[in-house]
Amino acid sequence: MNNRYVYGVVESDTVEFETDAVAGADRVYTISHRRLGAVVSDIDTTDPEETDEDAQIHDDVLREIMAYDDGTTVVPMQFGMAFESDRALKNVLRGARPAFRRAMSDIEGKIELGLKLVREEDADVDREAIEADVADRLEPIAAQSVENDLFSDRLVLNRSYLVGEDEREAFDDAVANFEEDHDELMIQYTGPFAPYSFVDVKIGAKQ
Amino acid sequence: MFILDDLLFRPFVGIVDALHTIALDEMYDVEGLEAELKENQLLYELGERSEAEYRRRKDELEAELETAREVHEQLSSGRVEVKK
Repeated sequence: MNNRYVYGVVESDTVEFETDAVAGADRVYTISHRRLGAVVSDIDTTDPEETDEDAQIHDDVLREIMAYDDGTTVVPMQFGMAFESDRALKNVLRGARPAFRRAMSDIEGKIELGLKLVREEDADVDREAIEADVADRLEPIAAQSVENDLFSDRLVLNRSYLVGEDEREAFDDAVANFEEDHDELMIQYTGPFAPYSFVDVKIGAKQ
Repeated sequence: MFILDDLLFRPFVGIVDALHTIALDEMYDVEGLEAELKENQLLYELGERSEAEYRRRKDELEAELETAREVHEQLSSGRVEVKK
């Protein structure tokens, strides 16, 4: 277990707790360089396999980090970032420092929420009108949003929203109201997640 | 696989190479299968698809996806050739 699996980067060096971590590890802790900390667990590979179970654990650990110490801002990493050594990881923290700081300020105090609208099997829907209605109701509350892949022809809309924690309730209400007005749609409203879709820091894996 | 064998043993050259690759691409559509897997998951989570149906479909799609990935790997390594 000499390698380090990374969940995300925080502005702290004290995040540490016991939990079910990726690849069977049982605690996460912080490796830091000048107050930027990578939250990691030990692992014995630099190329972890993405099983459904470990992908779920990765998400769960990120949520625990977000809730840590009454709320911690974390720049989330995608599944699969593992480093050979502490030294390699610290080099990345040093090199990508400005990018991490920028990402941190973009997402501070915010969460990601997901919205998928799926038309009922026989429903005939006006996609443009639905898109416009969603935008009218949700965009004013969200800080940012991004469109995701429409991987099925049943999907009418698939978006992720970056929402301030203090706007969460207003956003929930707006989604609930939308749902009441649209019998022709099934709605999958998910989150909160760490704001994956709104950070663009890719750290070199397998270093 | 009937279509594949058929193409392999037809005595044409050139154009058949190209058609063969296109046919394999369409038959082993990795992206399409990945999308179907996601759709299956979504419809199950929304309660439209039963757990039994979801699992049956998931196993089926995962097996097809594995085959499709192997075929693409072999195509790109040139191990699948059209006989002339």
